[in-house]
Amino acid sequence: MTQVDFADTAETSAAPAVAPGVPKMAAQGVNVFYGEKQAIRDVSIDVNMENVTAFIGPSGCGKSTFLRTLNRMNDTVASARVEGLITLDGENIYDKTMDVVQLRARVGMVFQKPNPFPKSIYENVAYGPRIHGLARAKGDMDQIVERSLKRAGLWEEVKDRLQDSGTALSGGQQQRLCIARAIAVDPEVILMDEPCSALDPIATAKIEELIHELRGRYAIVIVTHNMQQAARVSQRTAFFHLGTLIEYGETDQIFTAPRQERTKDYITGRYG
Amino acid sequence: MTDAVGFRAPTDWKTDAMQKRIRKRYRAERRFRALGLAAVAMSAAFLIFLLAVMVGNGAAGFMRTEVALPIDFKAAPLDIDRAQLATRGADLALAGAGLQDRVATAATAAFGEKGEELIAENAWTAVRDAIKADPNLLSQRAHVWVPASSDLDAAADGGGEPAMQAEVRKLRERGALQSGFNAGFLSRADSTDPTAVGIWGAFKGSLLTMLVTLLIAFPIGVLSAVYLEEYAPKNRWTDLIEVSINNLAAVPSIIFGLLGLAVFLGTFGLPRSAPLVGGLTLALMIMPVIVIAGRNAIKAVPPSIRDAALGIGASRVQVVFHHVLPLALPGILTGTIIGMARALGETAPLLLIGMRAFIVTPPGGVFDPATVLPVQIFLWSDEVSRGFIEKTSAAIIVLLVFLLAMNALAIYLRNRFETRW
Repeated sequence: MTQVDFADTAETSAAPAVAPGVPKMAAQGVNVFYGEKQAIRDVSIDVNMENVTAFIGPSGCGKSTFLRTLNRMNDTVASARVEGLITLDGENIYDKTMDVVQLRARVGMVFQKPNPFPKSIYENVAYGPRIHGLARAKGDMDQIVERSLKRAGLWEEVKDRLQDSGTALSGGQQQRLCIARAIAVDPEVILMDEPCSALDPIATAKIEELIHELRGRYAIVIVTHNMQQAARVSQRTAFFHLGTLIEYGETDQIFTAPRQERTKDYITGRYG
Repeated sequence: MTDAVGFRAPTDWKTDAMQKRIRKRYRAERRFRALGLAAVAMSAAFLIFLLAVMVGNGAAGFMRTEVALPIDFKAAPLDIDRAQLATRGADLALAGAGLQDRVATAATAAFGEKGEELIAENAWTAVRDAIKADPNLLSQRAHVWVPASSDLDAAADGGGEPAMQAEVRKLRERGALQSGFNAGFLSRADSTDPTAVGIWGAFKGSLLTMLVTLLIAFPIGVLSAVYLEEYAPKNRWTDLIEVSINNLAAVPSIIFGLLGLAVFLGTFGLPRSAPLVGGLTLALMIMPVIVIAGRNAIKAVPPSIRDAALGIGASRVQVVFHHVLPLALPGILTGTIIGMARALGETAPLLLIGMRAFIVTPPGGVFDPATVLPVQIFLWSDEVSRGFIEKTSAAIIVLLVFLLAMNALAIYLRNRFETRW
């Protein structure tokens, strides 16, 4: 299956893309329905550690829907129904024994529109560790907040005003705050749903740089409309169209030598 | 495409028709602004008129006329053991010693045959309190300021019968008439004598009733709103519940009174006229208001905040209590203010559960018989005695002050919880 494809094309990738053994997250034959309407058809995909996987495709193709099945955010939509198998470290995340709260701590998420809580910068970052009880000793929380903000590249800009409201930051800063908030709970996978679509080019460049730096620690899945962005930040790219996964492979291969006609049409701007 | 549309001349913005349209538009604008201003001015005028009338009439209700009554205990001492005056039985002992008769005789002696009609029926209690404050009075000849009768009170205010007005002139010449702040009005309960009535009983009744209403309606209303908005599946049953709640908010209040009568008094056998029952009945009445306002406030919390919290692994309860409720609280409080204000002014349902009883002692707790401010106003406005007219206005002022204080508190709380983003 797709696993075999990785091995074939591994050399073409600029970065060490292939993780040995079990993939971090794997989806097999996933179907998603909203009521009667089927949004995702039979998608199988693997996501590896220390890797950025980009989902591209035209609007309404189901890439965001699929992303949200990976940490069960679709549970909040009453009419949504997921079939098939999605595993995290080999465990079925839709299993009854899987605790959805822990799952979402392990599989963090950054949303399209920056959505900091209307609280202080410090509280924004500290909220996750606090509800999961991650700061045991006194002063631990300060460390977690500082480390998360440093990793998100925001520390230098906000270290003197941690008590200011998170909503008072600029859009790009807000989005980095949201990333800091997500990594504060030490997730293994970070899902990013078009994280730069509401940002200007400079803020976008900063986020992309950040994604590069974070790649070493997490498995990152990013949904993007921007094909240049997918090409810049990702090692592997999946192309979705009308709810099906058309092609999944090394980013270089997808952009230089797509195997499917529809992929080629999309990345050359024929539609989308 | 262009062929189908054909050639079209550029629009001439200077034609007469155009100019006319512009003038018409400006006229409509001016007309609308004038109408709006008139509407605002009219409501302001009504409000000012209402306040002026209330304050004008009610101010006299807070004052009372007092008469200086000369009373001589030196010549004819009261048969009483002075040691008793320091005990709790002092009131009984003084009453038993015939103080009431002594005061009446003193009035006749001082002001002539009709002297007794000049002082209030409960004037002797003023003498009693004076003796309790200073037992030496019992061996002295002294003047005690006692409340005037309602007839004299009315005459002193410029009305009443001509005979009484003559008395007022006489007393004024002797310097035996004064107007003082009626502290008793704020500390006593209902009475048959307008000079002896107080608002404290009804005020405390309202306070206790509102407390019960708030404690029942607020948590139940907010929890219902949270459940319906955040947890309940969207199906036919929840639609039905939503329609029912909306209808319930519009049910006339007297029907809630009948419900309270049947359920709380009939089925559960709770005490009649008690603030507990009044509070429960009013809680039923304002719960729909709180649920509706709460649901709207919860709906207005941006979904992105819920996503953000869920996305870092907050449970649904944590999402609700850490994020949704704090953000919705100002809106919920607004709904609660509206509901509580309505409950405070409600009379009809309380009449049905017996809160219109004549109660002369302020309630000690939620199980004691009590009345509330609007019912008290209703009862007093029904009285024929002239003294009750100004007492009614005074009670209205107290009710309005209560309302303003309650709203001010709620608005203060709302502003404190308001979050800006």
